[in-house]
Amino acid sequence: MSIVSWCHWLQNTPFATGIRQSDLFFPLIEGSHIIALSLSVGLIVVFDLRLLRVAFRGQPASLIMEQFVPFSLPGFVIMFATGVLLFISQAEKVYLNPFFRFKLAFLVLAGINASVYQVKYYPKMREWDKSGLVPWGAKLSGALSLLVWAAVIALGRTMAYEL
Amino acid sequence: MDLQRFWEWFYSSPAIDVLRNAKYAIPLIQSFHLFGLTLVLGTVVIFNARLLGIGMGKITPPVIANQLWRITLIGLLLSITTGILVFIPDPARYASNTAFKTKLVILIASILFHFTFFRKAIRSTTPTPRGRAAAVAAVSLTLWFGVGWAGRAIAFLG
Repeated sequence: MSIVSWCHWLQNTPFATGIRQSDLFFPLIEGSHIIALSLSVGLIVVFDLRLLRVAFRGQPASLIMEQFVPFSLPGFVIMFATGVLLFISQAEKVYLNPFFRFKLAFLVLAGINASVYQVKYYPKMREWDKSGLVPWGAKLSGALSLLVWAAVIALGRTMAYEL
Repeated sequence: MDLQRFWEWFYSSPAIDVLRNAKYAIPLIQSFHLFGLTLVLGTVVIFNARLLGIGMGKITPPVIANQLWRITLIGLLLSITTGILVFIPDPARYASNTAFKTKLVILIASILFHFTFFRKAIRSTTPTPRGRAAAVAAVSLTLWFGVGWAGRAIAFLG
């Protein structure tokens, strides 16, 4: 079975049809997907701004990470769960939508960028915090994160326009 | 030129015509609108979580307010500017939409509350009493998230 025909089957299951045709659940799921941006991307942006020394210059980056970033986790859980439900409800059209594919690619990029930070810069944060400077690679990671998440938002908005 | 004539001129100007007809102009503008929303609601969540004493205990509310107040404002300006750009090409659609009118009222209430009671609570160097902090946070979160939900409802309600 090809992926398209699997998507076709998926969106025609009673569960998917139920979401798609619900005047209550579809707007609620879609609205939650957008408004949870505040919890997920919103908190990541604040940490990116610290790396770029735009906000909280007087506080160590490790402190800002420890105090704010854990709050983004429930946000990303909501994002992922509602995203999966939205996909199921319109699987075929979404799968064929070029903006969706770019959005997935940028999500992977965001993941790679965050992983590189975790491996390369996170373990030594307390050391470079003392000097008050942010290594250029960590700064680059913060800037990339801002750009990639902005692109994810733009691609998400545009793909919905095409559905 | 009176206001009515100004809007008519603006509505039919070539620049607005480009927005109206270019295929991806509106979704692109709405993307920035959503990025603005992310900044506003994201920082509002941080302010309120701190006010309520949910985590972030190592940074005081006035420090958080000092550092992030501008970010909220940048997000707000971005959302308002892009909101106007989405509204102008198709005013009739929005002017008659109940969710849109509700959104404007809640937005004005949010801004007024944010720059008065909320600002005072978050910038206070003495801890805000628990009951008062809870009340301020409840109003702030209800208003700002109300703006977001009313905005989303524009697409679903008439």
